[in-house]
Amino acid sequence: MSDTSTAQAPEAASPEPPAKLRSWTPTTPALRSRALATAVEGILYLVIVMAVAVVEYFVAGPIGDFGLSNWWIGFVIMAIWQGWHWAGAQTPIGSYIDHYFADSAGAPACFWCIATRQLTRFGFLYALPILAFSTNIVMMFVLFAVAGLIIHFTPDGRAPWDLFAGTHLTESLAIERSVALAEITKPADFRLGRQRVAENNRARRIMLLAGLSSVFISVLIVWNIFSEAWEFVAADEFEWSLLTDIGWFPRRNKFDLATLFVGTLWITGIAILVAGPIGLGVAIYLSEYARPKVRTIVKPMIETLASIPSVVLGFFAIAFISPDILKRFGGLFGIDFGIFSLLSAGIGVGILSVPIVASIAEDAMRAVPRELREASYGLGARKATTALRVVFPAALSGISAALIVAISRAIGETMVVFIAAGGSGGAIFESNPSEPGQTITAAMASLGAGTDSVAGSGIAFQSLYFLGALLFIMTLILNVFSDAIVRRFRQVY
Amino acid sequence: MTALSPDRPGKTRLPLTLESLKRQRSKDGFGQVFQGLLLFSVAIAFAMVATVLITVLIDSSEVLRGQFWDFLTNKSSSDPAKAGVAQGIRGSLIIAGIVTLVAFPVGIGAAIYLEEYAADTPLTRLIEVTVRNLAGVPSIVYGLLGLAVFVQGLGGITGGSSVISAGLTLAILVLPIIIITASESIRAIPSSLREGAYGLGATQWEVIRTQVLPAAMPGILTGAVLSIARALGEAAPLLVIGAAAFYSTGFQGQLDQMQGAFTALPMNVATFAKLPADVWAGHAAAASVVVLVLVFSINLVAIIARARLTKKLGR
Repeated sequence: MSDTSTAQAPEAASPEPPAKLRSWTPTTPALRSRALATAVEGILYLVIVMAVAVVEYFVAGPIGDFGLSNWWIGFVIMAIWQGWHWAGAQTPIGSYIDHYFADSAGAPACFWCIATRQLTRFGFLYALPILAFSTNIVMMFVLFAVAGLIIHFTPDGRAPWDLFAGTHLTESLAIERSVALAEITKPADFRLGRQRVAENNRARRIMLLAGLSSVFISVLIVWNIFSEAWEFVAADEFEWSLLTDIGWFPRRNKFDLATLFVGTLWITGIAILVAGPIGLGVAIYLSEYARPKVRTIVKPMIETLASIPSVVLGFFAIAFISPDILKRFGGLFGIDFGIFSLLSAGIGVGILSVPIVASIAEDAMRAVPRELREASYGLGARKATTALRVVFPAALSGISAALIVAISRAIGETMVVFIAAGGSGGAIFESNPSEPGQTITAAMASLGAGTDSVAGSGIAFQSLYFLGALLFIMTLILNVFSDAIVRRFRQVY
Repeated sequence: MTALSPDRPGKTRLPLTLESLKRQRSKDGFGQVFQGLLLFSVAIAFAMVATVLITVLIDSSEVLRGQFWDFLTNKSSSDPAKAGVAQGIRGSLIIAGIVTLVAFPVGIGAAIYLEEYAADTPLTRLIEVTVRNLAGVPSIVYGLLGLAVFVQGLGGITGGSSVISAGLTLAILVLPIIIITASESIRAIPSSLREGAYGLGATQWEVIRTQVLPAAMPGILTGAVLSIARALGEAAPLLVIGAAAFYSTGFQGQLDQMQGAFTALPMNVATFAKLPADVWAGHAAAASVVVLVLVFSINLVAIIARARLTKKLGR
């Protein structure tokens, strides 16, 4: 920042506003000349790949098929050769037809900008087809066409890699014009101001890309999971009656969803019975009763509970909850508990959900304005009355959101159930919580743990994605629901 | 409850002195029962934490006392006397490294875009909604994503079920968490700070780089480091990706090891816990202790780093 002062002074004295610096527009080459250059490049690439194959033949002898490695070696040679003239803002092909790389202010783009641009471009046009479609040359030309369409429809004729690296492909640079506009005393001053503008634009673009990553991930999740789930439903072996067959035995083509849903319902119900009262109690205590000193003890305790990994709680369920609590107290009621039971796993999941309920509900209750409490006290209400009949109803939407989030987590919780509920590869229909059972997530984990042996054997592997799609939809609905509740609640205050 | 209860103001007898009010309060039976219930629930929560930690410590004592060093440095084995978690520790550390390299820059960049650059357009709202929903997607679904994209789709680079695939999957898993926490701490920066820098002629990027980011750094780093702790405790996605229960590393180069079979600490816990408890319970508990020590020390690092950065900024 300190060196920019030299640039600021002359800019301020200039009759032209500095905004003019940004007004350079590239003279983008016609799409036809770009396509020509790309076609030349593509043909050269094929020539290089063939040459590599020929050299390979003479060096290593006829070693069989035309391998993937040829495309990669060609790619590396291409990248080096095309990068030869980066510093001069032109590629070898570009130097024949006056194509320059400019930054957003119209000056020759910096070395790293061009390097970024070319690597991104090669990645999209060469590496991606090689990786994704292994040597399918047709797909490569499809990608070329896609890139051409994008270039055609962007305002300055900029390709995705140009947007990423902040470069323009142009037929003329803007050095002379910009210098005249800004009346900067020495070239270094001008460079500084222009660099700052270009840097600013580049930063913005990179952040946008990072922001789009989440959308990209969502699309990937939805696309992958639902397309594989569709393969499950569309498979020849699949019939809808399989979904109501007796028990969940994917290797024997029995996919009874009721078995899994009953298990999931039990786990979720037990978890909420454990986490609801305790979590809400802790939340009310923290927001209404606890003095600051007590808070500094209770808060970290809740955070400790939140940071315990779910595998550890799974182990805790079979090492403590089942033998020391359920077996001991179950005997009093004449119920015989084994090490693995839905109840044990449900309590484990409940312990995991306590911090979720506690922290979201506490936030909701603390957001209730103090005036409400003061008005209640002013009317002579006691503390318990204020907490229960004023603060609690006012924060009700936030509290129900907390419970919904906890339900969604309990449905999606895997490891505790996988370890403690006792369902392995298959499970019969079981509606008794003192017996072992299977949930959606645990069934997925069992399928996933044997992925290697499952892959390619019938539709058991695809059923993994089918369950994933079900789980995704269920939790998505719950999350959207709780989100809507929280939003409404924010609008009130 | 007395006739003087403020809940029934009609029967209140004046004068209502401070002393009489105090006396009443001590007789507020319902209030005391309610407070007792609240304290009881806090006590149960305390008991949960304590019982989990104590159970794990007691069960692990035999293994950790008898073969502490062997347990940490040995590879997986079917012999209880030789089995250790060295491969799990290695896998977890590499996963943490990959998560740091991938999820930190992307997550913080996305947060900067959402808070500093983005106008209220449909695109921005789409990004915000997807981030919030991604944060609620169960971790095992991310495992499916990793299986489809990194293990099968990009198997040429990652080597299939490898520690690279696991690291990338967990990076995607924690990305929404990093974005949300970083957005929150950037939002908390007062706009006067930005306006002052703009007033001095800084570009937007300079404002972000020199003012907003340093001021928001304590919050951003805490969220990011905590998300690493979360990634280290996740086992479900690794199970789907295909973390190995037992494997042997022969004579392999570093790259081959990165692309080869892998496991991680939570996977070790799950594997031991799934084996017959009479022989392996101690190992499961000991591996749990190692995970807990790792996770808690990362949390501690986050707390200390936050305190130091906040102090350094003089806020």
